[in-house]
Amino acid sequence: MKRPAGRDDPKRELWLAWYAILVFYNLYTVVFFILTRTQPPGKPWYGAGDASGWFAHHHDGLLVGFALIFVLGGLSATSIALITYSIRRMSVSRAFAYSYLILYSVSAVPGFLFICVAMTAGAMRPDRDPALQQWLYDLGFLSFSGTMGVFLVGSLIWMAAILLDKNRVFPKWFGYLNLCNALTEVVVAPSWMFDRGVFAWNGLIAWWINVVVFGLYTGVFINLLRNVIIREDFGTGPLPGLPKRARGHAPAEVVS
Amino acid sequence: MRRTSGELIILCALPAAAILWIAAFFLFPGFLPPMSPGSAPSEVAAFYGDHTARIRYSMILFNWFCVALIPVLMLIVERMRGMAHRTPIMRYCMIGCAGAAPIAFLTATIFWLLAAFRPDRAPELTQLYNDLGWITFTCGVPFLVAQSLFLAVSIFLDQQEKPVFGRWVAYFNVLVAVALVPAGFAGLAHSGVLAWDGLLSFWVKNIAIALWIIVMSVVLGRALPRDRAVAEAAA
Amino acid sequence: MTTTQPVTATAKEPRRVPGQPDMWVFVLFESLVFTSYFGVYLYYRAQREEAFLQAQSHLDLWLGVLGTIVLLTSSWSVARCVQTARAGQYRAATRDAFLTAGFGVAFLALKIVEWTGHVQAGHTFTSDDFFQHYFFLTAIHCVHLLIGFVVLGVLVHQLASPDRRSQETVETCATYWHTVDFFWVLIFALLYVVR
Repeated sequence: MKRPAGRDDPKRELWLAWYAILVFYNLYTVVFFILTRTQPPGKPWYGAGDASGWFAHHHDGLLVGFALIFVLGGLSATSIALITYSIRRMSVSRAFAYSYLILYSVSAVPGFLFICVAMTAGAMRPDRDPALQQWLYDLGFLSFSGTMGVFLVGSLIWMAAILLDKNRVFPKWFGYLNLCNALTEVVVAPSWMFDRGVFAWNGLIAWWINVVVFGLYTGVFINLLRNVIIREDFGTGPLPGLPKRARGHAPAEVVS
Repeated sequence: MRRTSGELIILCALPAAAILWIAAFFLFPGFLPPMSPGSAPSEVAAFYGDHTARIRYSMILFNWFCVALIPVLMLIVERMRGMAHRTPIMRYCMIGCAGAAPIAFLTATIFWLLAAFRPDRAPELTQLYNDLGWITFTCGVPFLVAQSLFLAVSIFLDQQEKPVFGRWVAYFNVLVAVALVPAGFAGLAHSGVLAWDGLLSFWVKNIAIALWIIVMSVVLGRALPRDRAVAEAAA
Repeated sequence: MTTTQPVTATAKEPRRVPGQPDMWVFVLFESLVFTSYFGVYLYYRAQREEAFLQAQSHLDLWLGVLGTIVLLTSSWSVARCVQTARAGQYRAATRDAFLTAGFGVAFLALKIVEWTGHVQAGHTFTSDDFFQHYFFLTAIHCVHLLIGFVVLGVLVHQLASPDRRSQETVETCATYWHTVDFFWVLIFALLYVVR
């Protein structure tokens, strides 16, 4: 049986979203780790002069890198949409899916928009009063790292949906992995209290362990989403309204 | 019994919101002409000192009504139900973007209002608020770009005899997305076309957004009655 | 910690872990995460042994021992719960689950007493390096314990109705509780005993 390809592939929307997720996370890694050097994060103990120097030194990378996020950051919606869809395929209430959709969409603003704005403002005027540059520096890193907690509830909702699901959309162990992820998101909160040490925003516990767990978790769920798409069975027939030109206007959606 | 879906009311409310947006746009003295990123702190502070009242009233208006676009976006999402898609994924993408874009604009209005709250503070601080306001307003396009692209992809995938939106709407959305791209790079320049008061980052971007709202509301208006006819035919 | 091993009924039955095998992914992963927390603690302790020892002397070893005994007893009662549930004595199993929760609450109360004492003596999360780790490790453990109460709730809910009673879920819940207990024993050893 030949798999329909391209425009006739019944899974085309799913695959489009999945590849967009790949693009988004790769872009994210390149921008944060390579272009802007905001990951691993700058030193929280920097004084006003150091922070000002940091902005001057990272000037071009910050502006170009975050401009890319300003333009393409909206692709993050694809990952939220695909996960929401996966929850809709589960045997649980739609409330779980919609909660996840809204929770993560809202989190995008503190999640990456604030750091982009603060760092762009700092890099735009390296000659600004160093005290103000430090203020922007703190705003950028703390809004980015310190607000990881908003993902906690979303993770728990996904976990509950997976554990209750009877359709086996995701393996149960991934449900428990969500709990592990949620528990390390909590650990970032002390970054609001320390400007040095293991709990600061670049600390061993608050940043490194958290980012390793988050990286593993993200890698795992991207792979599992791929499996979900592969297992999805829409049949191989053409889409409603394609060559046969069916009479009906509303196509049959599997989940609507 | 005749039921009113209320969609027409939402659509008709759009011109009212648009009037308020336009009024606020002209009321804010920083848009015509757009403030230059090259201004010295003292000039920025003087601007907020001279025009305090107009800045406050215009931004309060924007603060109230910037979210008024969301119901219209939800109308588009509702139209997307009729597309020949297998999954609701594209709709979820649109919903995900719908809330975030107005909130980004709302954040900008907060910075502008803060700048105007104490115009007699140190000029560098007023300049900082002003910078944050303009950067959030100009560069905060990621969700608008994504929204247009998602809509375009949805229309391309909607292959049926009578597609919900015409093919040209998809091309139009791609064009709008492209027009918004330079604004994201506004931080790179203090003057010229790319700066936040420049041709690309200010004029092209904002005209593209205005055009998008006008064109999409017309397209939506034409899509609504057709739907009602379909519903009647089905009944 | 593995008093929940199934009674080896017949030699033919394939060896299996108690409860859902999936839960063991959680156990392994959390063990790794805690190991890294412990590693960070030991590294910084080695850097400034003097200061850590000095701060450590403010901990009351006997309060720690008491807490450990309470939590170990709760592990025993949850293990009993698994056994009675397997034997079909659901009423007794429910009682054991409540007993476990009771010991959990007692442990929590002890922790709150201990924390209050330290805070009143001026040792807070932000006061020095040792107490940073102390409050962090005990607090993250308490978060696990609080989730444990939710898990026990699931367990009681399972036992309450004949339609739901699944031995696998009972064992999964017990595994979680044992894990929390196991982490406490490690934390106790590192913070209170190693001096």
